[in-house]
Amino acid sequence: MSHANSTIKRRPRAAHFGGENAAAFALLALLVVAPFVAGDYIAYILPQYMLYGLLAVSLVMLWGVVGIVSFGQAAFFAIGAYAMGLCMGQSDLGFNSGYAGLASGALAGGLLAGVTGWFLFSAGVKATYFVLITLALSIITEQVAVSQSQLTGGFNGMFVNRMALSPFEGGAIAGDIALYFFVLGVVAVVYALLRWLMASSFGTVLAGVRENEDRLTALGYRIDQYKTLAFALSGAIAGLAGALYATTASFVSPSLAGVLFSTQVVVWVAIGGRSSLLGGLVGAMVVATASNYLSATMPQYWQLILGVAFMLVIIFFKDGFAGMFARLGQRLRPREVS
Amino acid sequence: MLNSLLSIAVDLTLITLVLALAAFGLAIVYGLVGVINMGHGALLTLGAYLTWQATAWQIPFPLAVLFAACGVCVIGLIFEHLVIRHFYERPFDTLLLTWAFFMIVTEVIKIVFGTDLRTVSNPLPGAIDLGGVRVPVYRATVALIAVGVIGATAWLFYRTSLGIRIRGLIQNREVAGLLGLNISLTYKIVFGIGAFMAGLAGGLISPMLSIDPYIGNVYLVRSFFVVLVGGMGQLLSGTLIGSFFTGGSETLFALFSSQAVAQTAVFALAILILRFRPNGILKNK
Amino acid sequence: MTDTIKTTGGLSRRSLIKSLGAAGALGLAGPNFIRSAYAADPIRVGVISPLTGAWTVYGKAHLAGMEMAIEEINAAGGVNGRPFELVVADSKTEPRIVVEQANRLIRHERVDFLAGTFSSAERNAAGPVVAAADKVLLYPTFYEGQQQKYYPGVCNKNMFMFGPVPSQQVWPHLEYMVKNFGKKFFMIGSDYAWPRVTNEVTKPKLRELGGEVVGEVYIPFNTPQYESVLRDIRNSGADVIFHSLTGSDTVNFRKQLAAAGMNKDFTLWTVDDEEVVTSGLGPEVSAGTYVSFDYFMSINKPSNATFLEKFRAHAGDDALMDTVGVAMYNAGHMAAMALRKSGEVSTAALRKGLKGLTFEDAPQGPVTMRELDNQAVLPSYLMRVRENWTSVNDMFEEVQMFESVEPQDAACSNLPLEA
Repeated sequence: MSHANSTIKRRPRAAHFGGENAAAFALLALLVVAPFVAGDYIAYILPQYMLYGLLAVSLVMLWGVVGIVSFGQAAFFAIGAYAMGLCMGQSDLGFNSGYAGLASGALAGGLLAGVTGWFLFSAGVKATYFVLITLALSIITEQVAVSQSQLTGGFNGMFVNRMALSPFEGGAIAGDIALYFFVLGVVAVVYALLRWLMASSFGTVLAGVRENEDRLTALGYRIDQYKTLAFALSGAIAGLAGALYATTASFVSPSLAGVLFSTQVVVWVAIGGRSSLLGGLVGAMVVATASNYLSATMPQYWQLILGVAFMLVIIFFKDGFAGMFARLGQRLRPREVS
Repeated sequence: MLNSLLSIAVDLTLITLVLALAAFGLAIVYGLVGVINMGHGALLTLGAYLTWQATAWQIPFPLAVLFAACGVCVIGLIFEHLVIRHFYERPFDTLLLTWAFFMIVTEVIKIVFGTDLRTVSNPLPGAIDLGGVRVPVYRATVALIAVGVIGATAWLFYRTSLGIRIRGLIQNREVAGLLGLNISLTYKIVFGIGAFMAGLAGGLISPMLSIDPYIGNVYLVRSFFVVLVGGMGQLLSGTLIGSFFTGGSETLFALFSSQAVAQTAVFALAILILRFRPNGILKNK
Repeated sequence: MTDTIKTTGGLSRRSLIKSLGAAGALGLAGPNFIRSAYAADPIRVGVISPLTGAWTVYGKAHLAGMEMAIEEINAAGGVNGRPFELVVADSKTEPRIVVEQANRLIRHERVDFLAGTFSSAERNAAGPVVAAADKVLLYPTFYEGQQQKYYPGVCNKNMFMFGPVPSQQVWPHLEYMVKNFGKKFFMIGSDYAWPRVTNEVTKPKLRELGGEVVGEVYIPFNTPQYESVLRDIRNSGADVIFHSLTGSDTVNFRKQLAAAGMNKDFTLWTVDDEEVVTSGLGPEVSAGTYVSFDYFMSINKPSNATFLEKFRAHAGDDALMDTVGVAMYNAGHMAAMALRKSGEVSTAALRKGLKGLTFEDAPQGPVTMRELDNQAVLPSYLMRVRENWTSVNDMFEEVQMFESVEPQDAACSNLPLEA
């Protein structure tokens, strides 16, 4: 075990992102002040973008760490959102249905991902097939959401109330600012936990899966179990993000699971930086914000710009903007003596 | 009873062959150079739009389709030359790059052709009576062309010396390199043929469908399943069996349940097949 | 040496990130501060149209209707001296984006009221937003009608519906279709609420007239092949195909229906395919079919002639208008009339002014906003598509029309909707 760790740990990329902590704190500080200086629309909309960011993070931990790309993250997001909607629809749960929604959203996303992952990884399905199957998964989810209208409201969608943030009955705190900090808190905590997990021995093995699958197999690791666990975790995070999104936006519809949204997540992560959790988070928030403001002024060209940016990133900057900033940081910083 | 069985059989044949045509370009590129071309849907769409453009210029339909196929081939070759050829060693990146290609082509189509619905009128209207079953003439013609095109291409790759050399080269690059074959040119030829086929299919399908910037999407995922279920490198039999499975079973399911259930069931079934027969339905391992 | 570089390096990186962040925050905040300085002057109208995405084809007429209304209102001196100002948002045909954009228009652009959204899903997405922010939404599309379970997307005092519901669009013409073409209907629609509800409420009416439904199919979005459906239709012995497919599926189905030579054997009656889709179908496919709506470009009325003249000046000779665009046009004018009437600009004043308001000069004939359920009372036209039409000018011929068709009362528990 220790031998395996020491060999795996010597990957060049780890050093690149030493600056991630500083950047993360700067972002946190920025997000804490943003709602007070930038107006109430920002206070309203940023939580949704933070949750897109969390969805992106769920992909980074697959793509950047384990080296698996899923084109179906939106399916888990949507399932989480519907789980929240169904929980909030039950008024007589006897406890805070919002928190029940969050829990069942994460659980539903994790379960679907876990089952799909176990099913596919145990057969050693190729990475490229995995992309197509997850793409199909999001299509199936969308299709089911449309056709099971008595449960989901079908194509016309489902309304979800704002959740009461106080876990106790009666003490409802539900304003925009309260929800803003609740979402910020959830995103920050999940991000921090993931950072910690990826630095742990579990994360080291996952990184080893990306770097050298054969060696790990030779060392006696059950790769498929690790992959399944990682995928389930990723699905749970996406489901949690979806559940919280549903109650923030107050509306859920099948297109949340659709191909367009699914592939959008891939674009966010590629542009933000596939090797950095923070890169994915910021990538999603920045692209979604830009899309919001620019699509009104140039609806035809915005998607094209995004497509070109996506292609250029894949060709020239494998690690996206996070990688570029990290390299910039490296250049400004003296060489570490190893 | 016999009549309705016959009509179901005719439907199955037509659906299978049209889908096979739509998926064939993808099958060539994936089967021979190992690139999963996510941009395939956009190439189909482009083929349809170029056909529309050519018919709008009063070019007769068959020539319009040929023009479209050549146009799409050129676009595909440009993309191959600028981007894809540097990434053959990294199949996963080609998947992402072709998806970016898809986004770009779709957006450029919207900008160049606008978003109004376009229509190519049916060059062969009417239906023929086949023992009580009426078959649309144009659809039947497209099915026959599909058989011809797929057959001819398979013959090219399996029976001519050029084809055998191409396949040999792809199977064993080192030996091919020793023999002095031009690897990058061969890949380029294959990619170009694949794009040509996508353009041809888009053009031939255009009179049957509404031409909008998303026309190719309806075939995109179905085409992937055709190729994956049929199996890599099984150009002729794989494409036909994959199409029959993907398109035909949808028709059969729809006989007993709603269309939505049928489509979902086919996707789910395709996933099952990929899980248990990752190399296609024909091969064990 | 190493030390100094390290310090400056660390600092510059951190300050770089910070200044980038601050710039971002300012960039977002900027328009907000600047806007509020002059926001008191014009009356700001937020329009959400499907400018990109699957239903882009309908977006042009949708937006053009409101643009024209605003041009005319401002040419006539605005509302009590205040001009209307248009703020456009793209829905991308995504309910998710509607939530985002409706909020942007209300909170960031500070619009006085909203108009638009296209599908029922988009309208429903905007529902909670306008309910929470207490802003009016003027909704232009033909739709399935209001049912309490979709509150706040419908049955919402802040929503006003300018498009027809099945009791206006379909029921008035059932008798004609049954009498002339036969009693057996085959119903085919896209697999979502509008077609399902339309068919559901139409069936009892059809039975009252002695008709029957011999088949009913719902097609998932983006279905390219229709062999099995065509076979079912052929075997059903139907007289009339009652058609509520939408998007690209309607074109795909109808092209394949025509290719199978079935156009002559069945009468097709569509409640979806307005000018834009019928143009997309072309004359061979669409000839001889029936369409019903509250508005057509072919309506022979002085009010429509004036409207079309202005429309062509606005959007060009070949541009297409349709029921949805005209509903946006009427919505704009009626909002201006309502605000003029009450003399102040507020959500309450707009709601109060719209209730019971009649727009005499609407292109399709007088349109009244019903007090009871905020549903417009509209004319209803049945048109036949001409053989060999060449443009929208000779596309449809009028078969019959009814003035001021009252819709069935909305199925809301809170009627009458409060002003």
